[in-house]
Amino acid sequence: MSVIYIALPIALMLGGAGLAACIYCIRAGQYEDLDSPPFRILIEDKEKQKSVLPRSGKPG
Amino acid sequence: MLRRKVVGERIAGRQPAVSSSRADLQSATIVDQESVAEVRPAIASARLTLPCVHCTEPTLCDATQDASRVFCCSGCRGAYDLIHGWGLQEFYALREQMPLSGTSNPANQRDQYEQFDTPDYLGKDCLIENKDGTHTAELAVHGLHCGACAWLIETAVEHEAGLISARVQMSQHSIRLIFDPTQTQLSKIARFLDRLGYSLTPLSSSRDSHIRGESRRQLVQIAIAGFLAANAMWIAVALYAGEFTGVEVGHKYFLGLVGTALGLTAVAIPGRTFFIGAIAAIKHRIPHMDLPVALGLLVGSIVGTYNAIQGAGHVYFDSLSALVFLLLIGRWIQFRQQQRAMSAVDLMMRITPRHAVLLRNDATPITVLAETLTPDDLIRVAVGESIAADGVIVAGETRLDRSLLSGESRPVRAVIGDVVSAGTINLSAPIDVRVTAVGRESRIGRVMKSVENATSEKTPVVLLADRIGGYFVVVVTVLALLTFASWMHAGLSIATANATSLLIVACPCALALATPLAIAVGLGRAATRGILIRDGSSFQQLSRPGTIWLDKTGTLTEGKQCVSAIFGTPDGLEMAAVLEARCKHPVADAIVAAASVRCTDLTLHCDDESLMPIEAETGGGVCGTVIRQGAQHRVAAGNLSYIRRGGNEIASAFQEELLQVIDAGASPVLIAIDGKVVTLVGISDRLREGAHEAIESLRSGGWKVGILSGDHADLVLQVGAQLGLQPESCLGGLSPEEKLDVIRRPRSDGSVVVMVGDGANDAAALAAADVGIAVRGGAEVSLQAASIFISTGALRSLLTLIRGARKTTQLIWITFAISLSYNLIAVGLAIAGWITPLIAAILMPVSSVSILAITLASKTFEKNSP
Repeated sequence: MSVIYIALPIALMLGGAGLAACIYCIRAGQYEDLDSPPFRILIEDKEKQKSVLPRSGKPG
Repeated sequence: MLRRKVVGERIAGRQPAVSSSRADLQSATIVDQESVAEVRPAIASARLTLPCVHCTEPTLCDATQDASRVFCCSGCRGAYDLIHGWGLQEFYALREQMPLSGTSNPANQRDQYEQFDTPDYLGKDCLIENKDGTHTAELAVHGLHCGACAWLIETAVEHEAGLISARVQMSQHSIRLIFDPTQTQLSKIARFLDRLGYSLTPLSSSRDSHIRGESRRQLVQIAIAGFLAANAMWIAVALYAGEFTGVEVGHKYFLGLVGTALGLTAVAIPGRTFFIGAIAAIKHRIPHMDLPVALGLLVGSIVGTYNAIQGAGHVYFDSLSALVFLLLIGRWIQFRQQQRAMSAVDLMMRITPRHAVLLRNDATPITVLAETLTPDDLIRVAVGESIAADGVIVAGETRLDRSLLSGESRPVRAVIGDVVSAGTINLSAPIDVRVTAVGRESRIGRVMKSVENATSEKTPVVLLADRIGGYFVVVVTVLALLTFASWMHAGLSIATANATSLLIVACPCALALATPLAIAVGLGRAATRGILIRDGSSFQQLSRPGTIWLDKTGTLTEGKQCVSAIFGTPDGLEMAAVLEARCKHPVADAIVAAASVRCTDLTLHCDDESLMPIEAETGGGVCGTVIRQGAQHRVAAGNLSYIRRGGNEIASAFQEELLQVIDAGASPVLIAIDGKVVTLVGISDRLREGAHEAIESLRSGGWKVGILSGDHADLVLQVGAQLGLQPESCLGGLSPEEKLDVIRRPRSDGSVVVMVGDGANDAAALAAADVGIAVRGGAEVSLQAASIFISTGALRSLLTLIRGARKTTQLIWITFAISLSYNLIAVGLAIAGWITPLIAAILMPVSSVSILAITLASKTFEKNSP
């Protein structure tokens, strides 16, 4: 049996995983605002966790 | 006050997280102790009230206090130091430019935010209850300038108890807040953000969420189509390679089946939109681009599947999936453009408030939605709010900021009986307004309607593509049937193959891609050169010469006044400067600047004792009492009609000099002391660098150039003469309405009318012109009315724009012609039976790629072109 019968479905599955990740990103709105994320990395996480973690709310 | 203090201290308290600001914290604490110590001795000395530098709260402080270091509390001082420590001091300057920022009247804003807690106020889409009991609210934020504002909000928000997260969307000017309703209220959060200088209002419409959903859906479809096309393509490569080098039959069959499965999925999932369009086209009997696409897809799928199962002949899956992918991308680019145009209109909608305070018969005020107002309702407009509807003032006297509509940048006095328009901002006192027109019927509503209509109109070339596309569909379908019938004699399989290659090769995907791609590339390249274009159709309109109207002040000239001539005694200038120093006006600044050059001890006359109440009138002048050397003098400074109205005597000697000043292209300002004109100054505004060259090359390009200005007609003629313009095309002394009339004047030849002006002050004229080009006034404000904003403000960019527009339009025609002739030739070859489906499948993407390559390699808006 040729390897192509295994390799091709695996390749498609890997590609499908990438597609799923891409769709997740689109649905989560990551492509909508490309201006503010560069500034968001300036916000320190430590403080945020302190105030967010005790409550169960999830940001975004 | 207490709340602010706590907040401020919290901001200060988190400083240790950043090492550089540690010193600031310490200094803030030390200064705080000092200020406590200072309080007691200060009681005896003179006190005055100055605004806090950070929050503008009136603060009682020592007379010797430096006005730039006044803080109401240590919290504000901490926040101020923090912002300065991080080099964000521009925040304050920017904040002051925003007329609607929360600093205008805190008491009033607070009142306004109370309604935020009523569940219906925000509307269903904007306030969502999460499963864990928290609430998510979406609101519009005013006062965002750059990413730093987003950063400030998102950071500071951690210090508000009960607020879990805040996410700012810069592109939408909106914020998404997640908060715990048991710990805090939305109004509390809104007040908190207001103190930072950002005011919140409900989002204007649910269109945003609709557009967002549509954009996401299209992106997902493109992602799926791209995945399928890419995979089908490499399977196709394997198969083509196999044709030449030989491939095992089993492998070929397997690859063909997998590829067909991918192709069919592409047709069935992302491609279904074409079938939906085609079915609608058949139902309504309107030929539509979707029809041949759907037909080609359908025939290709059936024949391809049959061939794949048979294991013989060509399978079309690669071209099918690539076709779907490319067509979807073309559509998405078009959708994005429309969306951009629409969001600009939506920004304009946000200018008019969504709510109004309605006074019922018994004079009880209730807050209602602005849409529910009807003519004859009585509404109350608080200070700092914009008026929700057109109407007539029935009670109160105030000053209005009408800059949006009339272009008058100075506040205008309004009294009982005056007509007010929706979107103007009430600046000084509450007024009651009898509503005359609401929403779309109001003046601003009509302007918005015209903007909206303009954006929904398609460019002529797109219309042509649509029209040709319509015929195309019918022709291609008929041709395919004819081909099939005429090849029947050679056998069913050859007839099917030829008809299928025709359908594939005739696919108008290059045609559909050409225009949106060229426009998108043009928009992007223009943006890198500082030209922001909202509306792709502007390219087409600017490509052929028409009439171009330029605003004078600030567009052709520097926009900064300076004193160019003085006649009479310098005393008059000095005394006028004492008055003018208290006014905010370019002419006042020019007089003060000139006076301070001429006499160095000007400051001595400027202390408070020398100045009696001044009456600044919007009608072109200022008057007041100045005490000099113990004697009171009545001083008036203003233009000719103002001085005449004031009953001042003008000596005949000045009449001649007055003409002289006007002839020199300057505005005359007369200064009268005790009823007698003693000094005459000429105020002028220099021409901008490059204005002459720009006008010259516009005229040599065949454009009719003219000036439209609200300034004195003689001045406009003067400037026009300097630029070599015909006197009849230099129109001065125009009211905003007259400017509109000139722009709307019907043209017999249907040529384009372009208005170039200040985005904030000429808003109405810019919106009314075929193409409005703003050269000043800030991108956000300008793009509400103008379709183009030139951020460099240089007139040279105007030439760049016009040249780029011409090139872009040429490019559209070239790509259009190429794709059309490609289709025609290929169709001819297919009918003749020269093209096998395999070659058709290769040619199809080649045409799209060649269009892509031509567009990207084109030289529109090149860096080295002017």
